Amino acid sequence: MMKHIQFILALISSLIATLAVPAHALTVQRPHTAVSLVTEADSFVPGKPLTFALTLTPIKGWHTYWKNPGDSGAETALSWKLPPGFTAGDLAYPTPERIPFGTELLNYGYTDASTLLVEVNTPSAWAANQPAPLTVKASWLVCNDEQCVPENAEFALSLNPGNGTPAADRADVFMKARTALPKAVDWPTRFSLNSEHFALEVPWNADFGRLEEVAFFPLQDGALAYAATQDVTIAGGVLRLVTKAGYKADLKELDGVLKVKIAGAPKADAFLIHATQDKGMALTPIASRDRLGGSGPDGSGGGKPITLVAAIGFALLGGLLLNLMPCVFPILSLKALSIARSGNSQAHAQREALAYTAGTLATMAALGGVLLALRAGGEAVGWAFQLQDPRVVAVLSMLVFAIALNLAGVFEVRLSFAGQGQELTAKPGAAGAFWTGALAVLVATPCTAPFMGAALGATLALPPLQGFLIYLGLGLGMALPFLALGFIPSAQRLLPKPGAWMDSFRRFLAFPMFGTALWLLWVLGQQTGVNGMALGLALALALAFALWLVGRAQAAGRPMQWHVATISLATALGVGALLVQLGAMPATAGAAPLASDNPLQAEAFSDEQLDRLLAAKTPTFVYFTADWCVTCKVNERSTLVSQSVTEAFKAKGVKVLKGDWTRQDAKIAATLRRYGRDGVPLYLYFAPGATKDTPLIFPQILTPTTVLSSLG
Amino acid sequence: MKTLIILATMVFSLVQASLSVALPQPGKPAPGFSLLDSNGKKRALSDFQGKTVVLEWNNPFCPFVRAHYDSGTMQALQKEATKDGVVWLLIGSNNPKRMDNFGGKHANKFLKERKSPATAYLLDPKGTVGRLYEAKTALNMVVINPQGELVYQGAIDDKPTTDPTVPPTSKSYVRTALADIKAGRTVETPITRSYGCAIDYAPLS
Repeated sequence: MMKHIQFILALISSLIATLAVPAHALTVQRPHTAVSLVTEADSFVPGKPLTFALTLTPIKGWHTYWKNPGDSGAETALSWKLPPGFTAGDLAYPTPERIPFGTELLNYGYTDASTLLVEVNTPSAWAANQPAPLTVKASWLVCNDEQCVPENAEFALSLNPGNGTPAADRADVFMKARTALPKAVDWPTRFSLNSEHFALEVPWNADFGRLEEVAFFPLQDGALAYAATQDVTIAGGVLRLVTKAGYKADLKELDGVLKVKIAGAPKADAFLIHATQDKGMALTPIASRDRLGGSGPDGSGGGKPITLVAAIGFALLGGLLLNLMPCVFPILSLKALSIARSGNSQAHAQREALAYTAGTLATMAALGGVLLALRAGGEAVGWAFQLQDPRVVAVLSMLVFAIALNLAGVFEVRLSFAGQGQELTAKPGAAGAFWTGALAVLVATPCTAPFMGAALGATLALPPLQGFLIYLGLGLGMALPFLALGFIPSAQRLLPKPGAWMDSFRRFLAFPMFGTALWLLWVLGQQTGVNGMALGLALALALAFALWLVGRAQAAGRPMQWHVATISLATALGVGALLVQLGAMPATAGAAPLASDNPLQAEAFSDEQLDRLLAAKTPTFVYFTADWCVTCKVNERSTLVSQSVTEAFKAKGVKVLKGDWTRQDAKIAATLRRYGRDGVPLYLYFAPGATKDTPLIFPQILTPTTVLSSLG
Repeated sequence: MKTLIILATMVFSLVQASLSVALPQPGKPAPGFSLLDSNGKKRALSDFQGKTVVLEWNNPFCPFVRAHYDSGTMQALQKEATKDGVVWLLIGSNNPKRMDNFGGKHANKFLKERKSPATAYLLDPKGTVGRLYEAKTALNMVVINPQGELVYQGAIDDKPTTDPTVPPTSKSYVRTALADIKAGRTVETPITRSYGCAIDYAPLS
C-alpha cells in the first residue's frame, strides 16, 4: 500500500515538474546538482534579446565543467524548443578554476555554483497579448574524483511581450554573473607550439603590480597539456607564458582566458583573449630564475622568482646597505664610536659584536615571524606592513623622536643605577649591544635599501621557513659592520681616535633622526590627514616636555621615581588617546593628489561633491579604481591619461571624480552597488542635466573612442 | 669537409631525437608492453605482430563507456573487427584500490555480462601502459597496424555522449581507421581528443 502511495506521489511530482508554468524563475534539484533557470526580466521586448541565467550548484566535493573541460569531462549543453522567430545564442561561462584529477590530469570547471548566461533573440513582430512558450533542456556532467554522472533538467516557461524591465529581485544574480565573465579584450596576442612547448605572449605593463598567479585556459583543445605547470615571466613589456604543448601543432587561431591575480587584490582579473600562431616565436622554456607566479597543477604559483641562496645574498647586501640609511646610521655610528672610545679588549669587542648581532637577528626573527604568520592567515601584507596602520606609524615616529632627543642631549638613558650620563648605545656589555641591535632593526623598518626589494619579494613566493631565513639574512647583513669591527682588529684602528669632538658628533646625529621622525609624521599625515598629523605633533610636543623633565632630574642627580611615574602615566594616556583617535580615522582622508601625477585633475569622490556638481549641471566623469585592479590600470593607461581624452575633458569642462577602493571602503562599495556593480572598475559619465541615477555607464574595457564619442 | 659532415650528423641526430621525444605519435612505432590479462595469462604487444590491434581503455562504471555498451554499438564494432582478424584488447589502467579492488574476476564478469567478443581484458593496475600511451580517459582508443605503427589515437567517435541513443548515429573513428588499414590507405584523422571518464592512475611509486 505504502509502495503504491509512494509511486503515485512520485508520479504526481514528476508531472508537476514538467507542467508549463508562466513562472520566470525555476529551480530543480538533481542528485548531485541544484539547477535554476531565471530570466532577467518578466517580459520581453519584441526585437530585443532576453537574457537567461542558468545556475548549477554541485554538492560538496563535486564539480561541473567549463566550455573546454580539460583532460576529461563535458561542457554544459542547452537544447531549446523555441516559438517561431526566436533563436538562442551560445552559453557564456564564468572564469573557470583549475581542478586537478589525481596527479596527472587536470580539468577546467567549477567546484562551487556557476551561473552561465545565454541570450534569446526575439522577433520584432510579436502580437501584444500572445504568450511565447518555450522549453529548454539543460544537460551537464557533474563529477567528483571517483565518478561522473550526467544529469539534466527540463524547464518549460511562457514568456510575455512587455516592457522588458529587469526584475529587481534578480538583478543581483545577473550583476554577479556578468562580473564573473572574463572581459573580452583585443590585445595583440601571439602563440606558438611545437611537439614539446607551447608559448603565449601578451603585451603587458610591468608596473601593474606584482603578479601572484597567472593561468591561461585555452578554449581549443590540443594547444597545451592541461596538467603541466605554466611558467610565466614579464620582460620588455610582454607577459610570456610557456608550458607543455598539446598535440595540435597546426593550430592557427586560439581563444582563451588569461587569469591574473595581483598581490593584494581580493580576487583575480580574467581576460578573454584571441591569439594567432606566430611560427617565428621562440619556444624556449623560461629559466627558473626569471619565473613569476605561474600556475602549478593546483593553481598555485609554481615558479620561484629567485633561488633561496640568491635571496639570502641579496638580503645580506640589503642589510649591509641599510646601515647607511638615515634611520639606522646614527645608531650605527654611535655604537661604533663607543667601541672605539671604551678601548675594550678584543674579547670584549667580540662579545659586544655578537650581542648586537643577536639583537638584530632576534628582532628580525620576531618581525619576520609576525609577517609570515599574518600571510599564512591570508592577509596580504608586505615588508613595512607595520606602516599601513597609522597607529604603528605614530608609535614608531615617537620612538624615533625620543631617540633624536636623546642624541640631542635632552635626556640620558641608564640601564643600571651605576654609571651616569651614558647613552643606551654606549652602555658597555652585552645587554647594551643587544638592545642597540634590536633598536636598529625597529627603526630601520621604514627605510628600504637597494637589494632588499628582491629579497623581500622572494619571501612571498618561497615556503615560510625559507622566507624566515631571508629575514635572518637581512638581520645578519645589518650586523655585519659590527662583526667586522669586533673580529677584525685592524678595523678598529680605522675608527677616529676618541675626543671631545664626539660629543658634537652625537648631537649632530640627532638631526638625521629628527628627519626620520619628520618623514614618519608625513606618512601619518598621508594616512589620516592634517588632523592626524597634528595629533602626532602634539604627542611629540608632550613627549619632548616629559623627556626634558627627566633630563633635568638626571642632571640634578635627583631621584627619579615620581618624575618617572608622572611622566610614564602622562605619556601612556597621551599615547592611548592618540591611538584611539587614529584608529577611528578613515583610511584615506582628504589627501588630495598632486596635480603633476594627476593629469585629469581628479578630485576624491564623495556623494556630496557629486551632488554639488550635478546641481550645477557640470558634466562629470566618475571612476572607481584600486591599486590592485589590473583592468583599472589598463584602462587608465590606455584611455584616461591619453592626450585626446584629457584634452577633450578640459575643452568640455568635464570634472573628474576618482574613488579609490584600494583599501575597502563601505561608502564606495555602496555606490558601486547602486550602479549595479560589486567591484571595480566602474566608469560613469553624467552629462549636464543628468541625475545621480541616470549616468552613462561605460563598459569595463575602455578605449578613447568609447569615451570621446559619449561626450557628445 | 670532415667538420661539416660531423656537424650535419650532429644536427640530424638532434632533430631525430627531438622528434622522437613526444611519443606516442601517429605513424611512429607503437610502444611495446606486456601485461597480465583477466585470466592471469601474460600478453605482450609483440605476441600480435603482423595483426591489427585495437586498444580500448575501459572502466565499467563510466557513463560514457556504458553508453556504448548499453546501446550495443561497442559489441557490434568488436564483433566486426575480431571477425576480420583484428585483435581487440580492453585495458583497465585505473587504480584498482579505488574501484573496489577491481581485478580479473570483475573484468571477466564485465565481458560476460556485456557479451563482448573482445580478445582479452588486460589489467594495468600500476597504470604503466596507460601512461605510456598518454591515455587520459576511459574510452580512449588506439589503433595499431600490422606493421606495428600507431595509426590512430583518441576518441571512439565524433559525438562525445553519455546518452545510449547517440552512439549508433555517430561517425566511428575506429571503424574508419580499420577500413583504411584494410584498404592500405593512410588513416585520415590520426589523432583526436578522447572523451570519457578521467583515468584515476595509481600514484607513481
